[in-house]
Amino acid sequence: MSLFSVIFYIFAAVIVISTAMAVTRKNLVHAVIYLIVSFFGSAGLFYLLGAPLLAALEIIIYAGAIMILFLFIVMMLKVEETGNRVFAAKQWIPAAVLSVVVFALMAYLSFAVPGGQTQMRAAVAEPAAFGTYLFQHHWLSIEIVSLLLLVAAIGALYLGRHREKGQPEGEREARP
Amino acid sequence: MMFDILAQNPNLAVILAATLLPLAAFVVVLLFTRSRPKLSAGLSIGAMGGSLLCALFLLIRHPSMDVPLQYAGRWLISGKINIPVGFLLDPVSILMLFIVAAISFLVQVYSLGYMAGDPGFSRYFAFLSLFGWAMESLAVSPNLLQLYIFWEIVGLSSYLLIGFWYQKFSASQAGKKAFVMTRLGDIGFFLGILLLLFHTGRLDIATLAAASTGMSPSMTTLAILLIFGGIIGKSAQFPLMTWLPDAMEGPTPVSALLHSATMVAAGVFLFVRIFPFFSTSQSAMTVCLAVGTVSMLLSATMAMVSRDIKQVWAFSSISQLGFMIMGLGAGSRFAGMFHLTTHAGFKALLFLCSGVFIHHFGTNDIETLGRSGCRRQVIPMVCLVIAAAALSGVPPFSGFFSKESILSALAGLENPFWLVAGFLGAFLTAYYAFRLVFLLLFPPGGMDSNHEPAHRNWAMAAPLLILAFVSVVLGFFGKDLMQFLGSSGAGGALHKEAHRAWLTVIALAMPASGIVLAWFEFGRKSSDRKGFVERIPSLADFFSQRWYLDKFYAALVRRVVDGGLSALCAGNDRKVIDESIDTFSRSVIGAGRRVSMWHVGRLQQKLFVMFAVVMALVIYFGFNFG
Amino acid sequence: MIVPFSHVMILSGVVFVIGMFALLARRNLIMMLLGVEIMLNAAAIAFVGAALRWQDMEGHSIVLFIIAVAATEVSIGLAMIVRAHRRTGSVDPEIISLESKKEE
Repeated sequence: MSLFSVIFYIFAAVIVISTAMAVTRKNLVHAVIYLIVSFFGSAGLFYLLGAPLLAALEIIIYAGAIMILFLFIVMMLKVEETGNRVFAAKQWIPAAVLSVVVFALMAYLSFAVPGGQTQMRAAVAEPAAFGTYLFQHHWLSIEIVSLLLLVAAIGALYLGRHREKGQPEGEREARP
Repeated sequence: MMFDILAQNPNLAVILAATLLPLAAFVVVLLFTRSRPKLSAGLSIGAMGGSLLCALFLLIRHPSMDVPLQYAGRWLISGKINIPVGFLLDPVSILMLFIVAAISFLVQVYSLGYMAGDPGFSRYFAFLSLFGWAMESLAVSPNLLQLYIFWEIVGLSSYLLIGFWYQKFSASQAGKKAFVMTRLGDIGFFLGILLLLFHTGRLDIATLAAASTGMSPSMTTLAILLIFGGIIGKSAQFPLMTWLPDAMEGPTPVSALLHSATMVAAGVFLFVRIFPFFSTSQSAMTVCLAVGTVSMLLSATMAMVSRDIKQVWAFSSISQLGFMIMGLGAGSRFAGMFHLTTHAGFKALLFLCSGVFIHHFGTNDIETLGRSGCRRQVIPMVCLVIAAAALSGVPPFSGFFSKESILSALAGLENPFWLVAGFLGAFLTAYYAFRLVFLLLFPPGGMDSNHEPAHRNWAMAAPLLILAFVSVVLGFFGKDLMQFLGSSGAGGALHKEAHRAWLTVIALAMPASGIVLAWFEFGRKSSDRKGFVERIPSLADFFSQRWYLDKFYAALVRRVVDGGLSALCAGNDRKVIDESIDTFSRSVIGAGRRVSMWHVGRLQQKLFVMFAVVMALVIYFGFNFG
Repeated sequence: MIVPFSHVMILSGVVFVIGMFALLARRNLIMMLLGVEIMLNAAAIAFVGAALRWQDMEGHSIVLFIIAVAATEVSIGLAMIVRAHRRTGSVDPEIISLESKKEE
């Protein structure tokens, strides 16, 4: 077992445990913070798997932007959990059964598919090389994604704006 | 081409004009000139006058007619059923056409005075024109189905005119009652027509008796009795007689025209029309005779105690119609038709005279009218006396001759009971007619002193004088009429009249004794103005309650129709039909609600299903189950 | 030599299943959105592993796009949650769907 393997398993454990903790938290702030930990783990894993640029992006976008956005929303809405239990029994038992099945299936496929046991060789995709590759092969997709982000920004602004008074949905607004 | 045909057949042109003029007046008045009463009345009267001239033309042109004229266009042909549409002109129909046109014309002229100022003036004349069209077309219909159609239109116009003052609750109720009760008879009529159609496939009036020979006797009797049901309804015979007195809610000229002279006579007319067919079944004729007798006696007793002048004449109409049916049932077609003719004249006159009083004094009550001084109105009073005399059968007025011909027809029967009943009827008729006359002439308690001078309305007086003249002289034309009618002669047992001297004597004695009795009870100065019936309170009550027929029907309707049938139907409606539909719709709504729960929300269930399906697909394809 | 490819895949599967569980079982829209993020992250892990195994940068490109899509989805999703919360005062998907049905 090489050092890389050990680091991999450590990261894997961090990711799984923190994600599981995040999912089961009653307090949403706690959940979000656990998830940030999980994303940091993911970023480390990416770095380990030879994608330094993606690791940086993971931290910046996922752990940074997205999770902070979540945190803002959680704090803004002041959501109080209804009920004592995090999971309703009616809901989590089928979900759990399905999860187990899905997991079993995935595990089976991972192991059963030929080449599953292939040992991966360490390699690094240099950011410069990656960037060149990206803009050589996927320049159109990059443009489309930028457009998508623009649309998302406009859409979020539209959805989040306050309604004028007198409009039909205005009465029920819980003004923050 | 149309005009060529008309030019070649003046008769057809004339009959078309006679029947269609009132229809045109009806349509024009109702559609265009409703807001102009004078013009409407003028149109209507003009149309009816034209119609009268046409009828007169036909009457003069065909003093004797060996073969009836028939104009037929193809209308309803299906398999062996063949029903044409057209006209059948024979003496009976021409005579009826003339009667209807004449009385309608006179009544319309009279109405100018009677209805003056009524807000529904135009509507009134439109309805009268509608009636004129339907009744004239009924008279000349060549087959039973066409006759039935106009029969129903006549019923409709009767309904409209009875309920003419629809703001009055009692008037609209009376209209409804008349409509429903005559419909009851018409159901029988229609079933009879269907029965005939089913067995013979033809409904031609002229050949009905010949066509029906193929039917079994019991079937013929059944068909006759069913058709007679229609006659009972229309002519207000027992047991469907109670609508006619209520029909007096309409304007008095309407009562004169529809509910005494012409429309109610349509039943009798139908009897006359298919008399050969009716006379093929002796048992059915006996039933007709019995129904006529019962109605005649019953309504005569009711007339004896009524205090409402129009009601008296209404009961009298029923009674006289019963008399006609007796004559017909006894086998004399001529007697029935003759009495129909004379009755149309004097009964219209009676109503129109009463109408003058009612119009002037504003009440229907006999004693009040008498006290108000209606004997000062000379023309109507004289006319009324003439008409009452004609009704009673006093010679030389017309009623005497026609009544005598009916009585002699009755005398020809083996069973003397019918003749006795006829005499009794004649006696009662004279009694109640002159009771009314004496009450009007010599009112109990004398007359009120204050009275305004009667202003004479010639629009109202002229028809009275014409009708009075007709009532006086018509009787002498009995022989001519018999010749006129008898010449059609095709089939049918002709009257077997036996001119017996004693018959004439009794026929004279009966009305005379009735008048004398009425004089003693109502006319003498010292009389106490109480009839012999009123001395027996229970009997008087029985009569004035109309033999409890109305109460009986009301109870019957309440018990059987309201309590039984309609409760059953309502229960069926509510429990079976409504409930099943409600249940169905409720279950649809419930199902929709349930389905909509899948449709709206339940985000996580949907996601669950989505994942599960994707997993199932992965398993299916990944493991090569395919 | 790091680890067998299947181990990366197992890790990815576990994270994915956890995200799916959150999506299916938490009665809270924010947590459900978090679940979606977790699942996207699991996919990203799988892609990075695959890219390493086949020594191909195509997987990295896909991960870049996944991150972009995740950012889009979160911004829109959170805006909608805020809006739903304004209308109904709740972030429970059941309550929101019932409330919005009532308003129809």
